[in-house]
Amino acid sequence: MILSPTSYVSPMKVSLLFFAIGILLLLLQMTFLHLLPLGPIVPDFILVLCVYWGLHHPSVGAVLGAFMLGYSVDVVSSKILGINAFAMSLVFLIVYLSSRSIWLHHPVVSSLVVLLASLVKGVALVLVSAIFLSVDGLWLGAIRYILLEALVAAVLAPFVFNLLRRGQSFLEKVTVPTE
Amino acid sequence: MHPAVGGDRASMLAFFRKNQVLLSSCFCLLLSLYILTAAARGQLRRDPVGPLLLWLLRPVEIGAQITIDWFKEMQNSYTTLSGFRGENERLRNRIQQLEVERNRLLEAEATNRRLQQLLEFRSHLPSDSVTASIIGNSASSWFQSCLLDKGSADGVNKGMGVVTPLGVLGQVVSVTGRTAKVLLLTDPSSGIDVLVQRTRARGIVSGSLDYGTILKYVKRSEDVQEGDRLITSGIDGVFPKGLLVGTVIKARKQQLGLFQLIEVTPAVLASRTEEVLVVHPETSQEKN
Repeated sequence: MILSPTSYVSPMKVSLLFFAIGILLLLLQMTFLHLLPLGPIVPDFILVLCVYWGLHHPSVGAVLGAFMLGYSVDVVSSKILGINAFAMSLVFLIVYLSSRSIWLHHPVVSSLVVLLASLVKGVALVLVSAIFLSVDGLWLGAIRYILLEALVAAVLAPFVFNLLRRGQSFLEKVTVPTE
Repeated sequence: MHPAVGGDRASMLAFFRKNQVLLSSCFCLLLSLYILTAAARGQLRRDPVGPLLLWLLRPVEIGAQITIDWFKEMQNSYTTLSGFRGENERLRNRIQQLEVERNRLLEAEATNRRLQQLLEFRSHLPSDSVTASIIGNSASSWFQSCLLDKGSADGVNKGMGVVTPLGVLGQVVSVTGRTAKVLLLTDPSSGIDVLVQRTRARGIVSGSLDYGTILKYVKRSEDVQEGDRLITSGIDGVFPKGLLVGTVIKARKQQLGLFQLIEVTPAVLASRTEEVLVVHPETSQEKN
């Protein structure tokens, strides 16, 4: 069991660090992750990052960061702007609200939260696409996509959470001078 | 100032401070909905963040793409070399050197052949067509798109068709100075007006999440069979007439409904495409 890490670094620094990591993950999602044998599914590391952010470092900077990362995905991928920004902001809000009642930080719990967050994101994307893009018959195939993407994200979550925790510890060591 | 007014202001500030994450989340949700609505209506004229982000990402993406090509080349080299395990070290090293050299030459030859085909194909297209390279893929599973290394500075504009000698790849949906985003024909929100080459039946080729690429709106009475080739009709004003879009792999008439359910294999796969031609809509019509 791992207790929630106590941050010694200012929320702004954490937000900037996580946003920079998010941009790196975006690049990964656009290039190297397409080499993985997962068919059309691209592992959504950005979602996992936003969930971690919402669980452990909810701040105004984190909200803006999640929104900007969603917007960045829109800029490089979506047909219209705002669709992923909306989905990511919604995911962040839900994770933030649920984080108040999550006391246990365990890999299984993190996987479960990411699974649910990915499902929420998938449903939000399909709903918004159906409304704003008028794509007919989207629901039929979307369920398989939503489930597959959520499963991949949930499997990756403990690994990414661990990396982010280590990165955060490193930042704390660098920032806080030891007496 | 009356003490009650000061107290109200303080309590309001305390409320905002206490709920700042919640309030900023709601603000971001509303902002994204506003952006969505404006973008869907075509009212979003200036996007200051997108071009800047793409400008920043472009060189890194080109670098990453080169690394991927190198990685693929190394992977090919490894696969080719795995058959020589039993041979001695000197010969293995020699063969490795030769294989790397051979791969380099084969790659150069393949690139040369592709560019030659592209050049030949370009001669059939309007002279202001732009040659571009794919530098990035979609960052989301939900959108089938790719990024090109040419933008408005090179003459690429929104709405232009993207083709290869093998057929149609997609359509440009947004541009910045040095990049262009292409919505692939395999995306569920894309649509290309096509003709069945054999029977001249018309329909729309689009992506779908459940059946892959499909041909939509073909009446039950139309004769469409497996193996039928689909070509651009030229009516949409985006693609020149007669370009291959895909081949029918399955056509079936369901018990209910006005239209047939037709599955299609796209002629061009973005994952296997490196260079493309971007075609101007109006001039492509003039040439026809």
